[in-house]
Amino acid sequence: MNTVILSLIWSIMGIGWNFIGGYAGQVSNGHALYYAIGAYTVAVGAEKFGASPWMTMWIGIAISIGIAFLLGKPLLRLNGAYFLIATMAVAECARIIFLNVSYVGAATGIMFLDKKHSGWYSLQFKDKEPFYYILLVIVALLVLAAKGLDKSKFGYYLRAVKANEMSAQSAGINTPRYKVRAYMLSAAIVSLAGSLYAPFVQYVDPYTLLPLDKSTMICLVAVMGGIGTVAGPILGAFVMTFISEYARAAFSGFSGLNMLVYGIVVIFIVLFMPGGLISIGQKAKERFDRTRKRKGGGEHGSDS
Amino acid sequence: MLIQTIWEGIIIGSVYAMIAMGIALVWGVMGILSFSQGEFMMVGMFISFYANSLLGLDPLAAVPITAALTFGFGCLIYKTIIAKALKGPRLSQRLITFALGMVLTYGALILFGGQYRTIENVLFDGTWDLGFLVINKRKLITLLIALVMVGLMYVFLNKTRMGRAIKATSQDKSAAQIVGVNTEVTYMIAFGISTALAGVAGCAITYYYPVHYQAGAAFLLFGFIAVLLGGVGSTFGALVGGIIMGLTDTLTGFVSWSESCCLTPSPRPLR
Repeated sequence: MNTVILSLIWSIMGIGWNFIGGYAGQVSNGHALYYAIGAYTVAVGAEKFGASPWMTMWIGIAISIGIAFLLGKPLLRLNGAYFLIATMAVAECARIIFLNVSYVGAATGIMFLDKKHSGWYSLQFKDKEPFYYILLVIVALLVLAAKGLDKSKFGYYLRAVKANEMSAQSAGINTPRYKVRAYMLSAAIVSLAGSLYAPFVQYVDPYTLLPLDKSTMICLVAVMGGIGTVAGPILGAFVMTFISEYARAAFSGFSGLNMLVYGIVVIFIVLFMPGGLISIGQKAKERFDRTRKRKGGGEHGSDS
Repeated sequence: MLIQTIWEGIIIGSVYAMIAMGIALVWGVMGILSFSQGEFMMVGMFISFYANSLLGLDPLAAVPITAALTFGFGCLIYKTIIAKALKGPRLSQRLITFALGMVLTYGALILFGGQYRTIENVLFDGTWDLGFLVINKRKLITLLIALVMVGLMYVFLNKTRMGRAIKATSQDKSAAQIVGVNTEVTYMIAFGISTALAGVAGCAITYYYPVHYQAGAAFLLFGFIAVLLGGVGSTFGALVGGIIMGLTDTLTGFVSWSESCCLTPSPRPLR
């Protein structure tokens, strides 16, 4: 159950990252920043004001969108590797800020356990089932939204930006504006994932939320599954989380072996399946279609 | 105190410069942003540590051994993984180096354990007090190794046949092939050299920095930024960029209000 919930949270992050990294092709390596903002807003709200995560998650999303707007304007002018390094540096700055501001718990973080309010108010349940259903609904809604965007004007504009920014611009697309919008959207979704993660573990600190490799792992989830597709990030999140959690359970004697396995799996997937895990399904479908067509053709031939 | 801070900045900056040169070389030649550079450095640190504890070698004497071993290791990695990845999309290449870094980090944790180790019995120890500046001999050695490496790289890239082939390949791959450069070999050598640079940086820093399986990760971002400051594909630029980063690092620690605010990759666990 725990693994499924973590997978769902990773799915949300993957879906969020996919908008800017997958559709628009601007590979951000700093999305842990928004994840941390979402988690910290909920934690501070619950600890200091007794506010419900249902309300604070919107504040987190608003802050994330604001920061994404301010950062996106200058940073999205950079291309490729420069954008990646810049976002990485921003996330690292955020980690140092969170480490040093005592209002948000500095290095010790915030542990919050809301006993006064009911489970649905504080999103803290004795058993994990209600949380699972909440996440399931949210992921389903996000998938619907992503599906809608996949076929919308916005989605096609972003793909045009990814394919060739120059020609997208000359076709009349205001590329900076659409890139910033995609960045804000993906920041909002990743922030939502953070807001849901915080009440689940009831503990936030800079070391677990903002380690150096967190942002890259968000990116990995989407790329492993299949970049720029709707189902890809979810597939990637489930496969990668299950691998790392099962490896952790199976090799509990060796700390770190699960991450080693994770790394090896990533190398293999990237080397042998450049399209991500989803490409297996697509290839299988293609082959199936081809054989069916051939069969159909054969029958047709015998008829005539 | 200010002079002391600047001096410390130059020393840590020279280490960033070595990392940055490796990153810049791989980036310039084959267009890969190498996320595993910090981990190659960590491998160098462990080689140096074990050369000291098992063979009784001083880290200074271990530099050539580390360079040779990490060079071979880099070539092996290139042959087995990177060469294949180069055919794929650019994002996959970056992620593969990231995953490689992960494998190395946790491989080191499993093989060597998670404790901090330091090398105690080094050849040069103690300090020189110049009045306005206290020179730690251990750190001086690190700086000297870094400067020698930068010099060697400069000579290698500009004066030798192989180095010029690497430069030609980074400028225009197909033109280099036309004039008879075996770009496949050039790629491998360039990757091996960049690994060796990181390895030597790791070896040099064991003189005063604790050996730990996560030690490399902290240097990576500084290396990236140093490359951006210095310009891709320039050895001298990497040195300048590295030293600017080192100075920024120590000077912000100097003016900031609390110890933990300083950006220095401190030897505490990162996650």
